[in-house]
Amino acid sequence: MKLVKLFVVLAVLNLGIAQAVLEVTVVKKDENAFPIIVSAFEWVGKGAEDKDIAKIIQANLERSGRFNVVIPKAIIGKNIDTQHWKRQNIEAVVTGNIEQQSDKIYTLSVRLFDVYSNKQLFTKTTRVHVSGFRKVAHQLSDHIYEALLGESGSFNTLLTYVTVTTDARGNKEYRLNISDSDAMNVKSRIKLKTPILSPVWSPDRSYEHKKIAYVSFENGQSEVFVWHPYTRRKIEKLPRFDGIASAPSWHPNGKSLVLTLSKNGNKDIYSYNLADKKLTRLTHNSSIDTEASYSPDGTQLVFTSNRSGQVQIYIKNLTTGKINRATFEGRYNAKAVFSPDGKSLAMVHRVDNDYRIAMLDIKTKDLSIMTNSQLDESPYFSPNGDMIIYATSRDNKNLLSVVSVEGNRSYELSSQTGEVREPNWSTYLEQ
Amino acid sequence: MKNIVLLPFVIILSACTGTGDVLESSTVVIEEKGVESKAVDAIVRDESNFNWSDLTKPFTQANNTTQTSVKAQALAELKASDTNFTLYFSYDGTDIGDKATQEIIKHANFMRDNPAVTLRLEGHADERGTREYNLALGENRALSVKEVLSLYEGLEDRIKVVSFGEENPMARAHDESGWGKNRRVEFIYK
Repeated sequence: MKLVKLFVVLAVLNLGIAQAVLEVTVVKKDENAFPIIVSAFEWVGKGAEDKDIAKIIQANLERSGRFNVVIPKAIIGKNIDTQHWKRQNIEAVVTGNIEQQSDKIYTLSVRLFDVYSNKQLFTKTTRVHVSGFRKVAHQLSDHIYEALLGESGSFNTLLTYVTVTTDARGNKEYRLNISDSDAMNVKSRIKLKTPILSPVWSPDRSYEHKKIAYVSFENGQSEVFVWHPYTRRKIEKLPRFDGIASAPSWHPNGKSLVLTLSKNGNKDIYSYNLADKKLTRLTHNSSIDTEASYSPDGTQLVFTSNRSGQVQIYIKNLTTGKINRATFEGRYNAKAVFSPDGKSLAMVHRVDNDYRIAMLDIKTKDLSIMTNSQLDESPYFSPNGDMIIYATSRDNKNLLSVVSVEGNRSYELSSQTGEVREPNWSTYLEQ
Repeated sequence: MKNIVLLPFVIILSACTGTGDVLESSTVVIEEKGVESKAVDAIVRDESNFNWSDLTKPFTQANNTTQTSVKAQALAELKASDTNFTLYFSYDGTDIGDKATQEIIKHANFMRDNPAVTLRLEGHADERGTREYNLALGENRALSVKEVLSLYEGLEDRIKVVSFGEENPMARAHDESGWGKNRRVEFIYK
């Protein structure tokens, strides 16, 4: 009887998932990807399942393109035959076990073993509530990534994106979605018949403070809203003048944001402080100034302007107030964002008649084109700076693509049922 | 092409009697008028595609029914004339050419002759380039049109400008045949 009930619940869950979850496809991996074994975890206690923790880690490492994940047929326990794995050219082994403590509480132990040095690199033991299994899996993925590659991973983070579906009568539905970095655990609470643009995560690390600013046309024109997805606070509407309000982006302190407002038709960039609700004008120009984004230290503001007669990228030094043009290559450069180290910009760059994602080294002015399709847009860096997520099109349908900054690795996030666009990647979450 | 037209005569006739019957009989009568109605130019928005319910709300409401029907008649006449309700733009362009100016003048005359009408100018862009820049560009296109109309006294305050950027394309083709139709400003009267 109990078993039957469980099946019903699972069936319902599956329906929900089929509608919302994106399909992940690894397109390109590093030629010298790190060969690693990630074993399913040993299960101690009632039932017989490891709650997918090993599976999430396997998928995370594989998706990064920097690992060749080998899944052994049998669970590997605490005793690791290093000679055997060395002969198979495996360089590291991850094993783990989960022990049930009470109804909802589990103890999880995970070990990372280096095959060549024949050393255990780490053991982590934590008590986990059943609701935290995904989060722990992402944290462990970050630990493994960092222990083996010496760089931070971007797994314990969140994505936001817009999906668009069209029903048989041609009516569109726009959804603002949030998900884990692996595009799983999707929540889509904002559903509208009108377009949603430019969702962007606030830099806050705690769920309580995390916010998403976005643009919606639900009142007949573009307006900027701030949504608190993890609290019951109401969605805030930001002030506007007589025209468009759009292109929000957060200050690194999470307390204010910049947006484009049009006053007497003049589109300029303003900062808005959420606490005292004060607006400060940051650009004064009769041309279009939009798509502003702060440098990681908050001292500079990059934005798009057609003040030269062409659409180009400019950087405003917020200390001196001086504005310098940043792009000189090509007739169209727009929607730039700083890399997490502040040294580069990712942007939309026009090549002949195609719009592609390019990276600019701010100091040397070297521009490298990262993609090769016709209508790529909305680039954003992963929080470790290793990858750029962007929207692209195939067969006239939007999907998301993620490419490494070296260009040697990539994967895609696509929807079977509609279009996916406007991606944004959060900073690291609290541990 | 089918077109929904108001039957103005009934309404005007009863309006002229000046009796208490006015309100009752001024209930708008709508009839499907087929073959003999002059085909509306293809540039008029395909209403079947337009279901954003909140956008169909009038932004000024202080009109009585009689005015509404007179307005509707005038608008029907304007639509039946050779006036364009959509103006098109070049890539990244906001300039109004001589031909477009001629069209805008027709609209200015219409607004001057019909002081009760208000106009929403909707600016749009094609899909190329970024969504946020296109939103700004769409607004600039609508503002260029408003600028010409505002040369006429009394019109400026009756015009509202909105932009949908590339979000509400008229044509689906992903080449110049579609893009050219999507870089546009639409005249929508209330």
